[in-house]
Amino acid sequence: MLDAPTTDRWIRRLNLLQLVLAGIIIMTPTVWMVLSSLKPSFEVTAYPPTLVFTPTLSNYVDLTKTTPFLSYALNSLIVTIGSTALGLLFGIPAAFAVSWTRISWPAILTLAARMAPGTLFLLPWYVMFRQIGMIGSYTALILSHAVITLPIVIWVLLPSFDAIPRSVFEAAQVDGCSVTRILWRIALPLVASGIAVSSILAFVFSWNYFLFALVLSNGDTKTLIASAFNFIGEGSTQWGALMAAATLIALPPLVLAALVQRWLVSGLTLGAVKG
Amino acid sequence: MSDSAATLTQDRQRLELSALSAPAVIFTVAMIAFPVIYTVWLSFQSFSSTGNQSFAGLANYSKLISDHEFWHGLWVTLALYVLSLALQLVFGVWLALVLFHAKRLPGIVRSLFISPFMMPPVVAGMMWLVILDPSLGAANFILQSLGLPPSDWLASPTWVIPTVALIDTWQWTPYVALIVLGGLQSLPPSVYEAAQIDGASPFKTFQRITLPLLLPTIVTAAILRSVDLLRFFDIIYITTQGGPGNASNTLNVYGFRVGFEFFNIGYASALMLTLTAIVFGAVLACNRLRGAVAW
Amino acid sequence: MNARMFAARIALPVLAVIAFTGEGRAADFDWKKFQGKTVTFLANNNPVAQALLTYKDDFEKQTGMTLKVDGYQEQQMRQRLVTVMNAHSDEVDVFMTLPSREGEQFAAAGWYADLSAMAKNEVAKEYDPAGLSQALLKAATFGGKLTSMPMNIEGPIFYYRTDIFKKCGLEQPKTIKEVEAAAEKIKACDSSVTPFVSRGLKPAVAYTFSNMLHNIGGSYIAGGKSNLCSAKGKEALDIYSRLLRDFGPPGVVNYSFQQISALYRGGRAAMSFESSNELRTVMDGGARLKDTALIPFPAGEAGQVPTVIGWGMAVSSYSKQPDAAWYFVQWATSPAVQKKMALQGIAPPRPSVATDPEYRKWIDEEPVRKEWQAALDVLATKGSSEVGYPIVANPESREFIGQAVQDLILKQKSVDQACADADKALDALIAQK
Repeated sequence: MLDAPTTDRWIRRLNLLQLVLAGIIIMTPTVWMVLSSLKPSFEVTAYPPTLVFTPTLSNYVDLTKTTPFLSYALNSLIVTIGSTALGLLFGIPAAFAVSWTRISWPAILTLAARMAPGTLFLLPWYVMFRQIGMIGSYTALILSHAVITLPIVIWVLLPSFDAIPRSVFEAAQVDGCSVTRILWRIALPLVASGIAVSSILAFVFSWNYFLFALVLSNGDTKTLIASAFNFIGEGSTQWGALMAAATLIALPPLVLAALVQRWLVSGLTLGAVKG
Repeated sequence: MSDSAATLTQDRQRLELSALSAPAVIFTVAMIAFPVIYTVWLSFQSFSSTGNQSFAGLANYSKLISDHEFWHGLWVTLALYVLSLALQLVFGVWLALVLFHAKRLPGIVRSLFISPFMMPPVVAGMMWLVILDPSLGAANFILQSLGLPPSDWLASPTWVIPTVALIDTWQWTPYVALIVLGGLQSLPPSVYEAAQIDGASPFKTFQRITLPLLLPTIVTAAILRSVDLLRFFDIIYITTQGGPGNASNTLNVYGFRVGFEFFNIGYASALMLTLTAIVFGAVLACNRLRGAVAW
Repeated sequence: MNARMFAARIALPVLAVIAFTGEGRAADFDWKKFQGKTVTFLANNNPVAQALLTYKDDFEKQTGMTLKVDGYQEQQMRQRLVTVMNAHSDEVDVFMTLPSREGEQFAAAGWYADLSAMAKNEVAKEYDPAGLSQALLKAATFGGKLTSMPMNIEGPIFYYRTDIFKKCGLEQPKTIKEVEAAAEKIKACDSSVTPFVSRGLKPAVAYTFSNMLHNIGGSYIAGGKSNLCSAKGKEALDIYSRLLRDFGPPGVVNYSFQQISALYRGGRAAMSFESSNELRTVMDGGARLKDTALIPFPAGEAGQVPTVIGWGMAVSSYSKQPDAAWYFVQWATSPAVQKKMALQGIAPPRPSVATDPEYRKWIDEEPVRKEWQAALDVLATKGSSEVGYPIVANPESREFIGQAVQDLILKQKSVDQACADADKALDALIAQK
C-alpha cells in the first residue's frame, strides 16, 4: 500500500529485519514455555538450559489424568463466550452512542469496574450472589466476567466509531434512517476490524481471569485458569506440568486470534462506501 | 422539513441514543453499585483482632496519609506505570506498523506475534521467575555468553522495577500493537494516495499523516493500559511478593496483603478505594487527551 | 529409638485402653449415623490433600455420606476461605488450616468450631486421639479450644551433599558454627557450587529463621515486647543473613521453596535448608537420591529446637452440620487413613503410624527416606510450632522478620539498626488488640 519510489527495496528489507527482530524477542519466551512442557519437570530448571533434549508427552498425559481438564475447559469456554457475547451486545451500541453524542460518561462508568482492584468485588459479590443462591452458576460467572469485557469492547470501538466521518451519518439521517438502523446497517460494517480486535481482547481477558471464578464458582463450574495454579505449591511444584497446562490454556485464545485475523487484515474501508 | 418535525426527529434520536447506551450503563451500575457502597462502608469501620467491628470514621484514611508504606507504594506504582506505559506505547506502535506492512504474513504467525498477552499472568510470572533467576535462568546465561556481567534482575532493589516493567512490556506490547493495528486498518487509503502523489517519504508520511490519525487509537490503548498498569499485581505477586524489601510493593499488592493476609479489611478497603480514585484521575486525564485528538 | 518403642508398644495401648474404658463410647459408634448428608471440603491442593483424597471413595462408602471437594492452590484457597468466612457463609463445612500461621487469627475471629468435645466423645475406638502428636495438638489449641486435627507433620530440615562434603574433607555439621565453617570451606574448595541456600523471600523467611533463632536460644517475645534486639536475637539475625549473603546464591532475597529446591536438585547447592515437604521435588529425576543426607538443623547453644508444623482439618463454625463434618475430619485423621497417606510419602503426625512395620518398609527402601523420617522423628519430639510471632497478627509479623533479614542480606542496615526497626514495628503489632 505504501510505496515510495526509489527506496522501495530498502524499506522492504528494513521491514523484514524489524519483523524478524520483533519475532525473536516476542516468541522466544513462548517457545521456551512450549519446549519446557515437553521436558520432565526437573529438567525445566536445569542449568545451563538445555536446548537439545528428548521430548516427552508425560506432562500432558499426567495433566489429563490428574485434572478434569476437559470439563474445566468447557466451563471456561461457556463463561468466556458468554461474557464476550454480553460485552459485545451491550458494548457496541453504547460505544456508538458515546461516539455520536461525544458524551463520555457512560464509557467512563463502564471502565470504573476496571479501575478498582478486582479484590474489591470479591466479598460483596460473594455475599450478593449467595443471597440469591447463584454461587456456582454459570450466570454469576458470566455476569462478573462481563464487567471486564464490556469496557474493553466499548473503548476499543470508540476510536473506530470516531473515525467515521459525520457526513456518512448525516446522509443516512436525511434518508430518514433511525439511529439504530444507522448503527446496524452503516456503522457496524465499517468497524469490523475494531469488533475483531475487541472480541479477541475480551475473550483473552475473560479466559485468563481467575479472581472472580475463585469465589463465584464451585467444583462443577470451576474454570480452567484456576487449574494452572495447582502446579505451584510447596512439595508439589511441577514445572513441566505447569508449562503443559499453560500451553493448553493459551491455545483457545490463539486459535480465536488466528480465525479472526481475516477481519483485521481486510476490513471494509471508507473508500468502498463513498460514492 | 419543518422546524417542529426536525425537533421531533432530534428528540427521537436523543432517545434512541440513550436507549443504545442504557443496557451497558444499567448493567454496570447493577453490578458495581453494591460492591462500591459496601467497600466505602467497610472503609469507615475498624476491625479488631477478635472480629469486632466498630465505626471508625475517617481513621483509616488518616492512617493511610501517615502510612509510609502507602506513599512508598504510590511511588512504586507510579514509577512502574510511567516506565511501562512509555515503553509499551512506543514499541506497540512500532510493532503495529511492522505487522501492518507484513501483509503476506500467514494468520497463524501473526497470531503468534500477538500471543504473549494470551498467556495467563501466573504462567508468565513463573516463566520469567525461572528465566531471570540469577543462577538457574537463561537470561544470565545469555548475558554471560555475550561476555556481559550477570544481573540480579528481580532480586535487585534498584533494578526490580525496570525488570518488572520489561516483563510487562514483553507481555503487553502486542496488546497495544493489536489495538493500534485495528486503528491502522480503518485509516482511509485516499490520504496516503494524496501523500504519495506529493512524493512524501514513508517516514514523513508516518510523522505527518499516520501518527496524527492514529492518536485516538493510541490514546485508547493508553487508557486501557493505564487502568491495568496502575493496578499492577499478578507478576509481582508471583515473583517477588513486593520485594526485595518493599521495592516492588505496588498499592494493589499492598492492599491485597493488608486485606487477605493481615485481615485488616477496613484499612484494605480504604487503600483500595484510594487506588481506584487514583486510577479514575488518570483515566479522566487521558480522556481529556482523547477528546483533544479525536474530535 | 527405645523411648519410641516404649511408646508404641506399651504406653499408647495402655492409654488407649484407659481412654476407652474411661469414656465408653466406642462400642456404639455408628459410622453411618449421617448417611445421606453432604459435606463440603475446601482443600489446599498440596500433596497432603491429594493423598487424602485418593481414598475419598472409602469415606463415602464407609459413612454413606457424600463428599464435595473444592481444591485450590494454597494462596487461592486462603483467599476463598477468607471470603467465605467473612461472609459468615455455611458453604464450607471442613477446611484445611495451618495453625502455626493463621490459627490464632482465625480462632480470634471465631471461625473454628471447637473440636475438643467431639474429639473426646464422638470417636470410634480406633481413632486414638491421644496418639496424635501432642505438640501439634497443642499448637492447634487456642484459648482452650481445639481448633483442628493434625493431618501431617512437616518442618524445615537440612539437606546436604555428602559427596561434596567428602571432597572438601568435611564431616556432618553438628552445630550452627560448623555449618558456617563448612560453607567457608566449600566456597574455597568448590567454586561451581553454592555453599548454602535457604529462604530469603520476605514473607517466607520466618519459617526457616525461627528454627535458627530457637536453636540459638532466642525468643520472639520477652516481657511482652519484641525481642529481636536481644543478644541471641541479634546473633540469629546475623548468622542467618550472613550465611545467605556470603554463601548463598545471587538473588537469594527472592528465594523460596521453588528456587531452593530447583537449585539443590540441579546439583548447584551444597547445603539447603528447606521444608521436609520438598523431599519429593528434590529427588525428582533421581540425581540427588544417593548423595544427599538429611538432618534436623544443627544445634545452637540451646540445642536443637526444630520448627515443626502441620496442616490441620478444621470444621467451620458457620457450618450447619458440624457433627457430620466431624465424621469426615475424624475419618481423615484416623490412624488407618494416615497410614495409607504415609505410604504415599505424607509424614504422619502419629508416632504409632511412624513406627508401623509397613511404613517402615517403605522408609527403609531408600536411605534418604530413612534419614528424612529420622529427622521428622526429632521434629515430632523436640519441635516448636512457633513460626513468627505467637500473636494474632502472625502473618504480618513475618513481614518484619523477613524485612530485617533482607536488610542485612542487602547490607542496607547494620544488625543493630535492622533489629531495632523490626522491634519497633513488632511492638506496635503486639500491642494491637
